[in-house]
Amino acid sequence: MSAMFSQNPLMNGPNYSFNQAPATASGGNTEHSFYPYTDNGGSTLAISGNDFTIIAGDTRSTSGYSINSRYSPKVFKIGGTTSSQDDANLVLSVVGFAADGEALKERLDAIVKMYRYQHGKPMSVKACAQRLSTILYGKRFFPYYVTAILGGLDEEGKGAVYSYDPVGSYEREQCRAAGAAASLIMPFLDNQVNFKNQYIPGSGEGHALQERENIPLPKDEVEDLVKDAFDSAVERHIEVGDGLQMLIITKAGIEEKYLPLKKD
Amino acid sequence: MNHLPQAWGRPRDDVYGAYDSSYLQNGGPTQHTQRPIVTGTSVVALKFKDGVVIAADNLASYGSLARFTDVKRLRKFAETSVVGFGGDVSDMQYLDRLLNSLDIQEAYGSSGHTLNAQNLHTYLSKVLYKRRSDFNPLWNQLLVAGLDGESKPFLAAADLLGTTFSSPSLATGYGAHLAQPLLRNVAPDEEAASKLSLEQALEAVKESMKVLFYRDARSMDKYSIAVITKDGIDLKENEQLEKQSWAFADQIRGYGTQVN
Amino acid sequence: MTSIGTGYDLSNSVFSPDGRNFQVEYAVKAVENGGTSIGIRCKDGVVLAVEKVISSKLLKAGANKRIATVDRHIGAVSSGLVPDGRHFVSHARDEAANWRSVYKTPITVKDLASRMGGYLQAYTLYSSVRPFGITAIVGGWDSELELPVDGQVGSGPISGAGGKVEGKTYGGPGLYMIEPSGMYWGYYGAATGKGRQTAKAELEKLDLAAGKLSLEDGVKEAARIIYVAHADNKDKEFELEMTWISNLDGPTKGRHEEVPKDILEEAERLAKKHLEGEEDDEETKDDDKDKMEE
Repeated sequence: MSAMFSQNPLMNGPNYSFNQAPATASGGNTEHSFYPYTDNGGSTLAISGNDFTIIAGDTRSTSGYSINSRYSPKVFKIGGTTSSQDDANLVLSVVGFAADGEALKERLDAIVKMYRYQHGKPMSVKACAQRLSTILYGKRFFPYYVTAILGGLDEEGKGAVYSYDPVGSYEREQCRAAGAAASLIMPFLDNQVNFKNQYIPGSGEGHALQERENIPLPKDEVEDLVKDAFDSAVERHIEVGDGLQMLIITKAGIEEKYLPLKKD
Repeated sequence: MNHLPQAWGRPRDDVYGAYDSSYLQNGGPTQHTQRPIVTGTSVVALKFKDGVVIAADNLASYGSLARFTDVKRLRKFAETSVVGFGGDVSDMQYLDRLLNSLDIQEAYGSSGHTLNAQNLHTYLSKVLYKRRSDFNPLWNQLLVAGLDGESKPFLAAADLLGTTFSSPSLATGYGAHLAQPLLRNVAPDEEAASKLSLEQALEAVKESMKVLFYRDARSMDKYSIAVITKDGIDLKENEQLEKQSWAFADQIRGYGTQVN
Repeated sequence: MTSIGTGYDLSNSVFSPDGRNFQVEYAVKAVENGGTSIGIRCKDGVVLAVEKVISSKLLKAGANKRIATVDRHIGAVSSGLVPDGRHFVSHARDEAANWRSVYKTPITVKDLASRMGGYLQAYTLYSSVRPFGITAIVGGWDSELELPVDGQVGSGPISGAGGKVEGKTYGGPGLYMIEPSGMYWGYYGAATGKGRQTAKAELEKLDLAAGKLSLEDGVKEAARIIYVAHADNKDKEFELEMTWISNLDGPTKGRHEEVPKDILEEAERLAKKHLEGEEDDEETKDDDKDKMEE
């Protein structure tokens, strides 16, 4: 089982799904064996605002250098009562191994639906966030190989984003990028959403230098940030591209937007 | 001497030693499929205006040996859908039997409603995902072609890991590298596919089969091709690749008599 | 009844001194009260039909099917205790599926009848169970072509070992009736349930052994026979349910299916007309005979 983790692209080698080095037996011969994971590439991104949350993901699905599909969504509405999920109030994004992502989505969706029917009210993001963690940790020793982000509006109507690692460790954050281009997008977000490394000009020298004040961003600005983040990621990462799917959660409901990305 | 019934007819232990029954126990953990044995190569498919065209050659290879040359890798389901199988042939046969029993169970109900291609794809991908999660995979890459719940053309893929995706054109194995670019030329997106005529789609798929035969060493020139529309399935299982040209062969340098 | 008070009828699997198993005979009584079921073995297919006596006006018309699909090519119908019939079908489906998984080929009607006969017979042997309160009619079409083995690849040898034998014909229609004792015979025409005597008499008139009756006519005859058999039980309303299995070239392509609505309605119309004709017949016997000519 340890071989599974040595194949974590973040730990060694380039960030490509074909980085599946065959396990080597003690004799030095290459041993062919079944490896139950693959990486389908792509990236996701979530930003919460004062009264909204945006979760976005590209729609490319890859296997190695090949593009499986140009439209394979990674962002899903969760826990609605119809097949169109029109009345959902939660959004889940999954990136990594797509089959696990699909399985995780289906499972969470069923659980949130059951919660709604049993309690007569929709599940809160906070409750769903804890539940998702439990689901992921339940497969601690055969994990869902996905990075999940859950979004919605909290009890006060403020935007909420919860991000996860594959085995269920989670926290609520202002924003989070995940997947293949996470390392490209996250620093951009730190700078543009949380104003990291932005100082008030002339406010002082060295430690006296004052950080720019953190203010929540308006929705249209965040939308533009998301677009810029993905346009940039597409330029620099081969597994990201084709289309950008954005789900915007406000108290009015969930709005879905689709924008084309470069297909090269 | 041992006169008990279980010793009757057995060589005497004092003369021949105790019976070595070790072979009866299978020591160690349960073994599951680690690799495919007899395999089929690419499956290619393309959506068009009224349905889907899907094709696969009739070869099953045993390693590099062209072992079976009359293997039908396109399988009909309920006269509404076709599943094209790449990968292990015995696993394909297992899945085919599974679909057969599913079809029979469908017929128990009097409503006559059969599962559409989309339903079938969901079912198959769950079977595949379950088996990979048990570390006992069904070693196949498959394409499901037919119509969805709204009678619109449907085409989707599923593989041994349970990974699924859908696209206007799809190809498994070598086809993903060689045929898919050609198919994407004629149908870059859903809109383009929805304007393709049957003739255009057939031509593109047949051309893909030809390219695959040229360049995929595990392919052959006899193939099956199916057209699925709302009028049913037109499946031909003994097609022959035509009008091949080997004129390019003597231009290829780097092997054979022309080293440079 | 001679058995009453003797004690030999109280337990299954117990013979009476004169060699009878009363529990089985009581099961037959249960069958004799059920709605009439018939099956006709035609030259190009098999028809199954059942008279469903309407036990309540609250039942939805056309729902609550009594003829079941056992395998693609086989159907079954029974008279007697309906739940016993359901269990019969459930087991028959298991047998058919099991046969496929073992032999990779569909079960023949004959083999299914044999398996089910054995199953019903086992329910006469033990004191802990009771016999089935049904007589079942199993009909189907065994494919005249050599069917590909499930999941078969390739088409097999063209000649030599495993090749086709020229001039040999395979498959055909099959019709069997299985009784509570486990006894089963193959029939040209089978009838059971309340109206079986009338139905059998009608079936005998058809000369089915000649193998000339077409499936199309068989459907009409089946409908007529159910209507005629019901005539003795006129005070109760009934519904006709009919299924068929044709040969591979026929309308069902070897599958067991419901008879399509238009064909069923036409057959019922003819059946009713026939009955009216018979009634007129009786009336006109002493009246003027000219009316008949109309």
